[in-house]
Amino acid sequence: MREITPRSPIAILLIVIVIGYAAILFIAPLVAVVQGAFAGGLEPILNTFRDPSVVHAFQVTLVLSGAAVAINAILGLTTAWVLTRHRFRGRKLFDTLVDIPFVFSPVIAGYAMIVLFGRDGWLAPPLVPIVFALPGILLAKVFVSLPFVVREVQPVLQTIAPEQEEAAATIGAGSFTTFRRVILPEIRTALLYGVVLTFARAIGEFGAVAVVSGNIEGYTETATSYVYRALNDRSTVGAYSVSVTLCLLSIGILVLMSSLRRRLNEQER
Amino acid sequence: MIRYSHILSLLTFLLVVSAFAPIQAQDAPAPVNLTLAGYAVPREAYGDIIPLFQQYWQEQTGQQVIVLESYQASGAQSRAVAGGFEADIVALSIEPDVTRLVDAGLISEDWKSETPYDGFVTRSLVVLAVRPGNPLGITGWGGLANENIQVITPDPATSGGAQWNILAAYGAARHGAAEGFSADDTGAEAFLRAVAANIEVLDRDGRESFLTFERGIGDVAITYENEVLGGQLVGGQYDLIIPQSTILIENPVAVVDTYVDLHGTREVAEAFVQFLFAADAQRAFANHGFRPVNPTVGAEYGLVDEGTPGAVTPNTTITFAPVDDLFTIEEFGGWREARAAFFGDEGLFTRIIAEVQGQ
Repeated sequence: MREITPRSPIAILLIVIVIGYAAILFIAPLVAVVQGAFAGGLEPILNTFRDPSVVHAFQVTLVLSGAAVAINAILGLTTAWVLTRHRFRGRKLFDTLVDIPFVFSPVIAGYAMIVLFGRDGWLAPPLVPIVFALPGILLAKVFVSLPFVVREVQPVLQTIAPEQEEAAATIGAGSFTTFRRVILPEIRTALLYGVVLTFARAIGEFGAVAVVSGNIEGYTETATSYVYRALNDRSTVGAYSVSVTLCLLSIGILVLMSSLRRRLNEQER
Repeated sequence: MIRYSHILSLLTFLLVVSAFAPIQAQDAPAPVNLTLAGYAVPREAYGDIIPLFQQYWQEQTGQQVIVLESYQASGAQSRAVAGGFEADIVALSIEPDVTRLVDAGLISEDWKSETPYDGFVTRSLVVLAVRPGNPLGITGWGGLANENIQVITPDPATSGGAQWNILAAYGAARHGAAEGFSADDTGAEAFLRAVAANIEVLDRDGRESFLTFERGIGDVAITYENEVLGGQLVGGQYDLIIPQSTILIENPVAVVDTYVDLHGTREVAEAFVQFLFAADAQRAFANHGFRPVNPTVGAEYGLVDEGTPGAVTPNTTITFAPVDDLFTIEEFGGWREARAAFFGDEGLFTRIIAEVQGQ
């Protein structure tokens, strides 16, 4: 990699633009949210977290986002594998369709789920409710965060030559061993990155969840739904403190990821 | 030796287990769950009423009742219940949102006869909110048509409550309450056109619209008496103007028959709805700015005379002023007619807004 010390005015201008853009888009709002949370001191914030419905909202958010990560890690890996290792009719189309959750409005996805799984829906569940209950929230989170693992892992898989897998097979490795000893070491950084993005997207999801959850306090309300409710109830401290916590969670995950990645890279050397 | 990973797994396990159960108190004998699907605004009032009902039901039957609460915009809530959100009780902002559930076969046709006040649990008025001290001297509807006045009102295309505002403005003008416009349909239409041209922001629902006004946008908000009184209670700085002529808002409540029969909760759901009409619940609504439908309680807030005290003490800072000319939705031949005439694809307001935005 070649680094250039900026000399020309254009280079300096570019740096200023990039930093200014970042400052306006995410640093300023972050500062505003933190300031809003601490505007009334520590006591109102503590009171927010003493509200059992807030604690429950975080539990629902974390557990269901974790479950969404598990589902999308496994199915995402499988999808990436199928797309890179197999040739079948419609593969290109399917490859394009994987990105649908990125271009689809989450609110519309939520309504589509109600049409499918709601009362008199095509796939109305006979026993356990899906929409307006926790499974619906999980489904919404899985949907919106589906492409990350696939899109992170797929290009790396493409760079691994099938010969390595064949070589492993000829010396007697079963398919699981081949995956664990040959494939996984190659893709783990990409997988890790995909998992982190999936988790961050899942905890932050609002639109689809707001439509399918019914927003029942202490039951199907998620942390982001609580933020929306608190804003409408003039409980700005509640909204700000939960927002700050969500921000800290996301930043924490990013930090954790980069430190893990560094450790993995050191192990490889 | 205790390993961190063990502690972590234990914590994860506890987190998972507790997330899947709704919040409930421990060691209660077979509690019953009741799901209330409400529109956003009366949330605080229900926060006062639900504990009273829980106590009442415990005394009556010995059973603990857990009320699961959901609040969102009335139309969205109604569509969710129609789509399979199995709420036992709906408390909505406008009657058509209940009618949708009747049409869907979830609520019986005769729901209005099941409660003492024709299915309506609270009332309010369409009013105007202005900046402190009323710097622009707006005294009634006529002031909204003046040039360079910025008006805030929610969007009737998305908000049921917003439709009250447009109907109030039109009806009042037709009754001659908009100075400078003739007291007939032609004058009312011209008035509505002038007001629409002054609209600064059309928010998605009533609460969002009023919060926009609270944040300092606009000179006058067309809003609801309960919204202004409720906002003033938590320190909002604005003046309430009750126009001489306006519409009476009536908010319906109903038991969702299909779902209570499915859950076996009919008895407790009906008891809850009846409880909403009793004096203490009506006082709780009034303390949050809603006009009570129960006349005894109304009396305590200056509507007629005096009543009997109970567990809820009337807030003496709230009084409901009389209105000279109060009309109802019947002015327009009921909701079905009004919606078609004003908010349908060819409705008057739909056309006016298209013209104004096309300019």
